[in-house]
Amino acid sequence: MPSWAEFQPYIVTGLALGGLYALSGVGLVVLYRATGVLNLAFGAVGAMGAFIAYSIIKAGNPGWVGWITCILFAGVVTLGYGMLFGPALAGRGPLVQSISTLGLALVLFGAIDLAWPTSGGQSPSISFPTDNGGFTVGQLQVTWTQVIALGLGIVITVGTGAFLRYSKLGTAMRAMANDRVITATLGVPIRRVEAAAWLGCGLLSGIAGIMLADLSALDDTTLVFTVVISSLAAALIGRLRSISVTFVAALVIGLVHDLITPITQLTNYQDMTPFVLATIALLVMSRGQVMTRSREEG
Amino acid sequence: MNRSVHWRTRTAAAAAAALSLGVLAACSSSSSSSGSAPASSSAPGASSAAATASNSAATGTVSTSSCGTKPGVAATGTPINIGAINTKQPGTDFSDIENMTGAYFACVNANGGINGHPIKYFPVTEQTSPPQIASLAKQLVTTDHVVGIMGNSSIIECSVDAAYWKSVGIEVLGAGIDPECYSTPNTASVNMGPRYSSDGAVQYVMAQGASKIAFDQSNVPGTAYIAAGPNALAKAKGVPIQDFTENVPITSANALATKLVTAAGPSGAVVLNFTPPEALLILQAAQKLNLENRVKYWACSTPCNTDFLATSLGQKWNNKLFVNAELLPLDGNTTQTAQLFDAILKQYGTNVSGGVGSFSEMGFTIGEIATHALESVTGPYTIASVSAALKSVSNYNTGMLCQGYTYGNYSLHIPNNMDYTVTPDNGKFVQASTGGGCTLISADDPQIAAYRAAAGTAPAVG
Repeated sequence: MPSWAEFQPYIVTGLALGGLYALSGVGLVVLYRATGVLNLAFGAVGAMGAFIAYSIIKAGNPGWVGWITCILFAGVVTLGYGMLFGPALAGRGPLVQSISTLGLALVLFGAIDLAWPTSGGQSPSISFPTDNGGFTVGQLQVTWTQVIALGLGIVITVGTGAFLRYSKLGTAMRAMANDRVITATLGVPIRRVEAAAWLGCGLLSGIAGIMLADLSALDDTTLVFTVVISSLAAALIGRLRSISVTFVAALVIGLVHDLITPITQLTNYQDMTPFVLATIALLVMSRGQVMTRSREEG
Repeated sequence: MNRSVHWRTRTAAAAAAALSLGVLAACSSSSSSSGSAPASSSAPGASSAAATASNSAATGTVSTSSCGTKPGVAATGTPINIGAINTKQPGTDFSDIENMTGAYFACVNANGGINGHPIKYFPVTEQTSPPQIASLAKQLVTTDHVVGIMGNSSIIECSVDAAYWKSVGIEVLGAGIDPECYSTPNTASVNMGPRYSSDGAVQYVMAQGASKIAFDQSNVPGTAYIAAGPNALAKAKGVPIQDFTENVPITSANALATKLVTAAGPSGAVVLNFTPPEALLILQAAQKLNLENRVKYWACSTPCNTDFLATSLGQKWNNKLFVNAELLPLDGNTTQTAQLFDAILKQYGTNVSGGVGSFSEMGFTIGEIATHALESVTGPYTIASVSAALKSVSNYNTGMLCQGYTYGNYSLHIPNNMDYTVTPDNGKFVQASTGGGCTLISADDPQIAAYRAAAGTAPAVG
């Protein structure tokens, strides 16, 4: 077993990844609460935005042009999907609604592979100016990008929480999460509220996509599936309702995933981290519910 | 209560949807994993000796007309059918190899062909499915009536088809990846493959004084076979070595880079055997965290030898990262071979999507050797006559390899076992100034020793 000192560097890398998982998880939860759709295309949209940003930057444009394009692209595509298919699928069950987003994910996944083939051994990448700056804590090197990743996770979580609690639009979203029909009866423009949720989710997927392209990899499989699974696991631990629990769960997933790295016996199993933690959390929570219902019925 | 049940239903449905994504990702990940076996693939190299051997025109005077015996005269005889199988799937695409071999054949066809016969090329692609690969092999032989297989490069093709090729008497010329490409009698490769290329990288850093090795590769089938080579070399020199394998695609490169640097220590070396995208991730992560100088050396097997990687890394890695190179380094190279490569790529290589690189160099070298062998056939072109011609190739100077190329009649084939070492130099890879010239892979690797016992040691050309 490695010593505590050997574990320390992985706290930094794990928190940075966890911050982005949190940001992604919050985006998933907000959309789910407002529309009932678990957006499985979250990673694919961000991934395509990141690849577009890569091409823009490679063509000689300033980095910020690529980053903003990525975020806007993700927002527009997600909003477009929501507006086009959302109403038609609104009457279907949550499983159908969620799986339909998987269709979008696969279309984008194929498009990325066609537009940015990997032949010839070339590998696209995105880096931020903040990669080359940072500070050291003891023996640990911390880059500004890592700080930004964690900071974004915190800011987005707190900001979204405040938005849902204090803004009119946020209140409408919470109302729709409870009962869509009653909310509509009360005169809330549900299409507009849903559009806002789709757009917000899309913008967050763009931010997550561009950040993960730097911190993790500009790789379609990684961005479309592997990383997003961690965010989904965090959202599920938060029962797709609590953004604060989602945030904490995402940080824990990121931390545990990276802290396993120096344990050579477990390294090849570290990708199981989100599944294992989500399973444990859901089992524990459902056990609590069973006990509560037993008491109520008893 | 209703609300709670409603949420539970929705959450359960969402969980089911998420699970389906997980399963999908697992499938995708597995294809990508296999994809990185190529990482293990190996390829290019360098050769000033070979370069010098064919160096006569330093001013760009070689054109595509020199790839055939009758410049400008299209071949019109009975076609010679040749096939090839390459892996082409998301994350792993070796088709530039057969595409470049096809470009070479197109050049030959436009300039007299093979004794007047054009080569009809049947390049096919597979997606790492053994039944599909076995079926493609049979299709090439029974439907397309190929008389030779030249240009293969696949993650598992050698292991799937080795017995079939032997049963129909076909000798295969390709760019190998899996162990059977080097350890069976009916297949020989122009490249060294992941094991011997990793040997070269480990051998180099040990020669430069690294006191410990952290050897890392993608977690794909065959890693134990690959690691056996570097471990044998390190053990023979008394240098401690620690093996790692990583699931690909890598999702936390920062943590991984930290682990490797910690394992190697300040006087040690990190040696990577990955595809360029994964290797680049690790190296860039090390750079971001200022870890590049926390070890004495970084090294890579051949796949890292692409200018794209050198450009992406920047100057910090000049003379810090050393990459095994199996084929002629083309940057600034003006040998006749290099010029012919450029000319063919420009005129016939429109479908070689990666342009100049290890894969296209391998395809070119296969084209050269195949053409040389086919030209030696005097009677009809049959499986037997083409296989015999291939086996007769001996000490042929391709201008791309350190050594003359010998196919021969051996139970195993590692004809390329002498390599160069290159290092980044402001966005290009150049031959390392210290010990970067043609160097024999050590016979401390028992497979190399076995091959040399059977085939001898081919000297450097030039």
